[in-house]
Amino acid sequence: MLETRKLTKNFKGLHAVTDLDLSIDVGEIVGLIGPNGAGKTTVFNLITGFLKPTKGEVIFDGEDITGKKPHVIAKRGVVRTFQLDRIFLDFSVIQNVVTASHLYAGVGFLEAVFDTSHYKEKNKGAWDHAMKILEFVKLENKKNEIARNLSHGHQKLLAIAVGLAANPKILLLDEPLGGMNPAEVDSTLKIIGEIRNRGTAILLIEHNMKAVMSTCDRLIVLNFGEEIARGTPEEMQQNNDVIHAYLGVGKYAA
Amino acid sequence: MKLGKYWGYILLIIVVFAVPVVVRNDYYLHILVLCAINIMLTASLRSIATSGQISLGHAGFMCIGAYASAIMSMKFGVPVYASMLLGGVTALVVAAIISYPITRVKTVYFVMLTMFLGTVVTLVVTQWRSLTGGTTGIINIPPLGTISIFGLSIDFSSKMPNLYFAIILMLIILLFLYRIDRSYIGSTLQAISQDDTLVASIGINLVKYKIIMFCIGCFIAGLVGGFYAHYMSVIVPNSFSLFYSIYLLVYMIVGGTNRFAGAILGAFILTLVPEVSRVFLEYQPFIFVLVLYLVIFLLPGGLVSLPKYILSRIKK
Amino acid sequence: METISQAIVNGLMMGWIYVLVALGLTLVFSIMRIVQFAHGEVYMLGGYCTYFFSVIFGVNVYLALLLAALVMGLLGVILERFLFRRFRGQVEGSMVVAIGLILLLQTAASVGFGTQDRWVPPFIPGVLVVWGVRIPWERAINVIICITLVVILFLFIRGTKMGQSLVAVSQDVDAATLQGIDVNRVSMASMAIGCALAAVAGGLVGAVFMVQPVMGGYAMQEGIAVIILGGLGSIWGAVIGGLILGLIDGMVPLVASTTVASIIGFVLIIIILIIKPQGLMGQK
Repeated sequence: MLETRKLTKNFKGLHAVTDLDLSIDVGEIVGLIGPNGAGKTTVFNLITGFLKPTKGEVIFDGEDITGKKPHVIAKRGVVRTFQLDRIFLDFSVIQNVVTASHLYAGVGFLEAVFDTSHYKEKNKGAWDHAMKILEFVKLENKKNEIARNLSHGHQKLLAIAVGLAANPKILLLDEPLGGMNPAEVDSTLKIIGEIRNRGTAILLIEHNMKAVMSTCDRLIVLNFGEEIARGTPEEMQQNNDVIHAYLGVGKYAA
Repeated sequence: MKLGKYWGYILLIIVVFAVPVVVRNDYYLHILVLCAINIMLTASLRSIATSGQISLGHAGFMCIGAYASAIMSMKFGVPVYASMLLGGVTALVVAAIISYPITRVKTVYFVMLTMFLGTVVTLVVTQWRSLTGGTTGIINIPPLGTISIFGLSIDFSSKMPNLYFAIILMLIILLFLYRIDRSYIGSTLQAISQDDTLVASIGINLVKYKIIMFCIGCFIAGLVGGFYAHYMSVIVPNSFSLFYSIYLLVYMIVGGTNRFAGAILGAFILTLVPEVSRVFLEYQPFIFVLVLYLVIFLLPGGLVSLPKYILSRIKK
Repeated sequence: METISQAIVNGLMMGWIYVLVALGLTLVFSIMRIVQFAHGEVYMLGGYCTYFFSVIFGVNVYLALLLAALVMGLLGVILERFLFRRFRGQVEGSMVVAIGLILLLQTAASVGFGTQDRWVPPFIPGVLVVWGVRIPWERAINVIICITLVVILFLFIRGTKMGQSLVAVSQDVDAATLQGIDVNRVSMASMAIGCALAAVAGGLVGAVFMVQPVMGGYAMQEGIAVIILGGLGSIWGAVIGGLILGLIDGMVPLVASTTVASIIGFVLIIIILIIKPQGLMGQK
């Protein structure tokens, strides 16, 4: 479904990502792992249009989306979250999700202004959609809280909910478990698994190795912008290059 | 639409319509017209600002509309109501042309950019003497055309009909802007001003939203400018100076940017303050500054947060 | 031929005044992160101070300039402490404060001083003629004073601890605080210096043109234009930007009017803001 071919990004002498080929299919959870600075977030930026690749292509559902604008790519169904939590801090929880839901509803400008019955219907549809998503991530009882006041774990969950509301075919999650306690990690992993079960593919960047090993179907390991290994989690645990890359930095198991 | 919810607004509207009849004095009627004009301008400015685009060139677009309307009605014989509308359209076209490059720009630079834009507009108008009469401006601009309804003939040579026209125009524009603000468009604009990267990542075309809102806001400024021209019958470039744009921004900020009513309140009160304090003659600006500073230092939420502030004080 | 070189020289001489105004402004903008719209009014008051010290009190004109700078510098400190400190870093709040200040100062000036024309007495009368170009000594002295001040400022920033603190705060307030820099003192210093520079510019201009309560507005816009052209926070940028704008203002009137000169200058700024908002020398 999503494919990159020889994806490369160079910044003034720094090779951030080099010749990356990856592919993800429906129903897969693929983990993109590697030490800090390996270029994982850069790969996300390249896929979703926040950065233009120096070389290479990104193909989604047969269409070349390389270098298109971020919102165009997102509308096609490739949605990402951010490592440093982005949510609408001044909005309520449900307002956060509704903002993304209107995309799904597809309402016209003039109809909104004149408050036509068609608009009312679509608007209600968007709010219902938002509620369903909040229930899915189990945040529905906090729906009127201002996002700024949520706990860290809940904010990260909200970020996932906002991404979900945009109706993605594939969700790119950038360290969704960062800073969570074990209980939060468990429930979030269940939710991620459920997202995959409902038909959305997931590309996951995570440092929490236990989570990665238990949740991902496949792994792609990056170091210094290059792929050094790929395969199932079990295979990666035996792979010498992978162990070397991580031991070199000092972090392996969560 | 349940009428019960709206009784407060209906009452307010009745009062608003009654005021011109009660106030007979021509001078006060004029002040009220200025209030209406400033309310429309400030409200449209605020709508543009909800997406984080703070414009210091709003008076420039008013200027475009004013001159366009005056010139079209005088040199090309266009009926005044049509020329007023076309004045708004002219401002809209200019806004549309310039909006594509400028909406991508960060807020701080956008402010400066619009400031220079507004100044360039007045400078061009000053320079293009053959069309606009330069610094001496245009005089003898025809008033709004006479309307005949229900057998009555309403002519606009006196203040009262103009005030009613301004009030009706204001109510229509305020309703329009309010509806936008309350709909998903308004909340999307607010989302854009909070985090435009996040907005892009969920598929919203933020440039499109910003451009549309900017163009609408500038159209209104142009329309109001057209009305201003036919009401005042004289326009000079100096009436649309940077100072005016700055004042509008001050009305908006002092009124309170968080609520829609803030722009209305700010424009209304701050238009009245200089008039009410006219007794102080040349010291009048000091009163204005005093009011400004009182609000900005004591009420960070703007005038519109005054009720909440008083309530919280009483509760203590 | 003669007129072109005259225009160039005139433009360059005017440009240095822009540089001075812009330098003061860029200090205040980049260090305190406020929208100090009232900078033009400080410039205006500086002109009036110079006038009063030299004409009313009969002080030597150079001394009057110095005194005006000191008085305005002190005013700057007061303004920072009581008005702007609260709104450091806030665009909206500081803008309203500055607008109020403009009204306050302009009204005070027109009420207190009246609107009749006043001139600061010339520093040195007479005209120097070089290769057919008329250079009034007055304006030559202006340029010399401006360049001297720019050099002094440059050395101050490079060489003193306070100067280095100014740079630190303009780049990253939090990091500077962590290093133990007293941001309040730095802010006061930047306001003092900024206002002093503006005052000198006003005094110099007052000798060439007039001193009027409304002279601040134009200076303010030119100051902002220079900063945008040259880049915020950059001394070199202010110099280059000021000279370029001065040249435009000097040379365009040869073929068109001064209004067109302003239009060209501002359109240039608009284009820069769209394409490279950091200006010619800016980095951020």
